[in-house]
Amino acid sequence: MKFEIHKLQVLRRVVQILVILLLLLVPAIARYANSVAADDIDGHIEAWDGSIQGETLAGIDTVFRAFPNGEMTRPGLDTPERNRQGVIGYSRAFRGGPWSAELFGISMSDPLAALESIIASKHVARVVLISLIVPIILTVLFGRIFCSWICPMGFIFEMTDKLRKALKFLEIKTYNIRFRRDTKFSLLVVGLVSSAILSVPILGYIYPPAIFSRELHDLVFTLFDRAEAKMFGFSLVGLTWMSLILLGIIVFELLVSRRWWCRYVCPGGALYILLGAKRPMRVKLLESKCTRCVDCVVACPMGLNPMNNQMGMECDSCGECISSCDDDALKYAFDMGTAAATTMIPETVSVGK
Amino acid sequence: MSEKIKRRHFLKHLTASAVAVAGTTAAGKWMGGTGEVNACIRPPGALDEKDFLATCIRCGRCGDACPNQCIHPFTEELAKTHAMHPGAAQRNTPVIFPRTQACMLCNAVESDYLLCTEACPTGALQKIEKKINVLVEQVNMGKAVVDKTLCYSFNGASCGICVHACPLEGKALTAGMWEKPLIDPDYCVGCGLCERACVRYPQAIRVVPPEISS
Repeated sequence: MKFEIHKLQVLRRVVQILVILLLLLVPAIARYANSVAADDIDGHIEAWDGSIQGETLAGIDTVFRAFPNGEMTRPGLDTPERNRQGVIGYSRAFRGGPWSAELFGISMSDPLAALESIIASKHVARVVLISLIVPIILTVLFGRIFCSWICPMGFIFEMTDKLRKALKFLEIKTYNIRFRRDTKFSLLVVGLVSSAILSVPILGYIYPPAIFSRELHDLVFTLFDRAEAKMFGFSLVGLTWMSLILLGIIVFELLVSRRWWCRYVCPGGALYILLGAKRPMRVKLLESKCTRCVDCVVACPMGLNPMNNQMGMECDSCGECISSCDDDALKYAFDMGTAAATTMIPETVSVGK
Repeated sequence: MSEKIKRRHFLKHLTASAVAVAGTTAAGKWMGGTGEVNACIRPPGALDEKDFLATCIRCGRCGDACPNQCIHPFTEELAKTHAMHPGAAQRNTPVIFPRTQACMLCNAVESDYLLCTEACPTGALQKIEKKINVLVEQVNMGKAVVDKTLCYSFNGASCGICVHACPLEGKALTAGMWEKPLIDPDYCVGCGLCERACVRYPQAIRVVPPEISS
């Protein structure tokens, strides 16, 4: 087995880490904009000097002021001062999280969030449709890439998967129990029907990336609230019991079933699968080059069978199989969906542990 | 897979899904999913509480957008400090506690629309233009109500702080004899700045959510 760093995998990791960093930064940026609007930013930076909160505000201030409209010079002043409307304007470029976000003026919602809202309220608002444009175009073209590139829990579950290997190295016994893959579609339908009956979008309460972004928001906001009350340093009091759900899934995946949530349960993943079923860009096998070594089957986080070209709808195009292949037999390719490529739910192969 | 097994498989799934829907709905009702809804102050432009709970996806973008950090997620922990309690379906929906921070109608920043209404991706907060007549007409977060037994101005001392805090001073809130706050409900938008400013504790002037005040 050779160790070669694949550029696309590196880029994917960078994007995933950026998403989590951005999730931590968005509430801090919101607080920064508040302080600027209240004309108290310098006071805050000075009073909170040396603490996490103060340094974060100072860092954001430095970055925003470095942009073209971030500073202005006034007659009679030697040093340029902060352009209030400018830096507040920049802070508006970052809002929300993976559940629904606004980045540089583009509004994007998770299709699950939008669909639930539409079904529960029985009303289609124009803003919902606008927020769906970018996610749906990307999903229809590239498939389930939200799961492999953006979903913060996807990243954490991938790291959990890596930890499983470490446990194996330490000779700690882990299990890999397999469940039905169509559970996620059932959960999607059950969730949507219940949302319609209850008139409340309920899947958002159990959808891990939504929980994760809410919890991180609460955590960071509470850190700043505590700083207002002169309590500095890091604290986890902002977290609620919802975090325990995430922790529970992580422990379950670590010990009982590999990538349990993404493979078998995730209703959001199910919706992305349905939207991206006919995607033109997918991972393809060149059978002439394949040496039947099973490396890709072992590597596949979704438990699919790239060796037999059976990625079907479930593949999230993460590219792990491409990286694991020593013979260049797998690659991303444009293909308008042959019958084999768009098969329904594939059987889980038993080679991958 | 033969047709018979396929049909049996399908029926099995259908039954399981139906049971699950019934279970979730029953659990939702039991937890007060639609039953227990507690009155609270919503951000400007919010739909009726029932429609709001159905439309809002609890994403928190309005809270990020608010230049005055007055929009909070309605969590158990935050509500507790205001002697409030979110219903099961109200968890994490945006809420304003005027006593902590009141809505300044985006006065501090330059924008064409109220920023939270502009940020909402579902229309749970309807977009509202930042013009005084539009605001008076469309914003109804609640109505201010004075408790005359608590208010200093009604009890022999002139105060008038709430009147001067009002962004629509002279219209929504007028100073009467001895700075007594006189409220005109037609103009009051329920921003809560009067409640925030009130020096009496517990507050003598409070914003009452629209479903209670109307």
